Amino acid sequence: MRAVIVARLALAGCALLLAACASFTPGNPPLAKYAPDTGYRFERLDQGDNSDELFVIVSFSGGGTRAAALAYGVLEALRDTVIAWRGRKVALLDEVDVISSISGGSFPAAYYALRGGKIFDEFQDRFLYRRVQSDLIGQVLSPANWLKLAAPAYGRSDLAAEFYDREVFGGGTYADVIARNRRPFVVLNATDMTTGTQFAFIQDQFDLMCSDLAGVPLARAAASSSAFPGGLTALTFRNYAGSCGYRQPPWVQLAADDHASRANRSRTARAENRLSLAAEGPARPYIHLTDGGVADNIGLRGPLDAISSTNHPWSVLRMMNNRKIDKLVVIVVNAATSPATDRDQAASVPGLIDTLATAATVPLDNYTADTLDLLTATVNQFNEEARLVEGCRKISARQGPQCALDIPAPHKVELYPVQVAFEYIASAEERSWFKNLPTTFELPRETVDRLRIVGRRLLAQDPKFRELMKALDGCLPANGQAC
Amino acid sequence: MEYVKITFPTNRLVYIDGEQNGCTNEVLRVDAGSHIFELGNLENYRPSSRKVLVQDTTVLEPLEIAFYRKDA
Repeated sequence: MRAVIVARLALAGCALLLAACASFTPGNPPLAKYAPDTGYRFERLDQGDNSDELFVIVSFSGGGTRAAALAYGVLEALRDTVIAWRGRKVALLDEVDVISSISGGSFPAAYYALRGGKIFDEFQDRFLYRRVQSDLIGQVLSPANWLKLAAPAYGRSDLAAEFYDREVFGGGTYADVIARNRRPFVVLNATDMTTGTQFAFIQDQFDLMCSDLAGVPLARAAASSSAFPGGLTALTFRNYAGSCGYRQPPWVQLAADDHASRANRSRTARAENRLSLAAEGPARPYIHLTDGGVADNIGLRGPLDAISSTNHPWSVLRMMNNRKIDKLVVIVVNAATSPATDRDQAASVPGLIDTLATAATVPLDNYTADTLDLLTATVNQFNEEARLVEGCRKISARQGPQCALDIPAPHKVELYPVQVAFEYIASAEERSWFKNLPTTFELPRETVDRLRIVGRRLLAQDPKFRELMKALDGCLPANGQAC
Repeated sequence: MEYVKITFPTNRLVYIDGEQNGCTNEVLRVDAGSHIFELGNLENYRPSSRKVLVQDTTVLEPLEIAFYRKDA
């Protein structure tokens, strides 16, 4: 008997040694030749009937199944919202141009990119109502997976990615999303662990690494975006920089050269990050991606850069300069919570886990608040410029017609920043219930349904959304009712 | 946000850092920093491009960047 046990232990030891020697299999294929006219890029997607004049950006925050269900509820509401646009009645969802997502929010985003309207028939059973977290733990505890998990280049998130690929996304890759060739442009975001910057799953980002996003499973992108530090591991991607003849756009060197003048710190940082990732050699042969929430937990930083910079892979500002956009709608779906604590009821020193959890989450929440302030500041800047020009015209006109000034102004854009967040729930009791929901990949069916319903209600109640409905002669029916 | 106005005797497309961005003689929005301004492939203008550091502008006082006809 003892001999059998020794033999089995020896066998397990050998297996672990073999696993340790196992070579890394990259989940992202190389790009043979840089081709700016192909791949998953905003400008490559067929617009269909989706107009640029009404430009709609939606961001989905992190927060596990809580975030996924809230985002899904908003998608359902956008599907049911009917607007009068260019002489016909259309669903507001069909006018959504970009979705930017983080972590839990990346699951409905990725599913919508892959399956379009079929999400409303499939996603609830495939993800929202599933006990995903239990299934993932079961995968980790299964001896069949221990050999893989023992390999240094394979972690729990790789196992999760395989599970999502099989059970949620049915093997779908970005090649399938490219083949659908439809807006919205869906941007799943992770965080580059080394630089701490946002890493977007779009071809412009993968160009820097000379890698072809088309060959990447959506499951791997969603797993990277939701690799919550601690519970899940980072995912490793291969960097083939220097092998495909990639050329940086002209603004990158200009912005990098502005380093000393400090003319635009964030633009320079974006340029330097691109140069770091694309450094030949490559300087960083492997890129490790963790949860997108580490860099930005509401997925709004990318859209804000696009709105305020002409040097962005899907620059909204460039479209404004080209007079393509008249109305810009930004819908932020934020599943942030603030769980109650009894910490301050006792004199005892908070424990290590409590302290570490606070250190990990409070900066994210504060950064989220800053990002929302930045959205407000950006909207105010556009509104203020329009008011300034109009004010000067009025003052000069008051002096008499001969004094009226024809002040040239940039193309006027109406902005509608919409926020769906638990903090806007009117009832304190209900608000507290939602704000104490856990961050997990499984919630009771009733909770998921409450999240879907509250997402719809919060959208309908948002003052800017109501303003938008008025401007577009639109209507979002309450559940089960007609407009 | 910064503001520029690219002046030219006629209406032409403006290229900022190689990307098409509005037209000449309009106020255009751009982020602060150094940019390269051009008027496209019709080479009947001078200079062929201008590299300019754009900062401290307002919507009422955009930075004017002038291009001229080659024969003028």
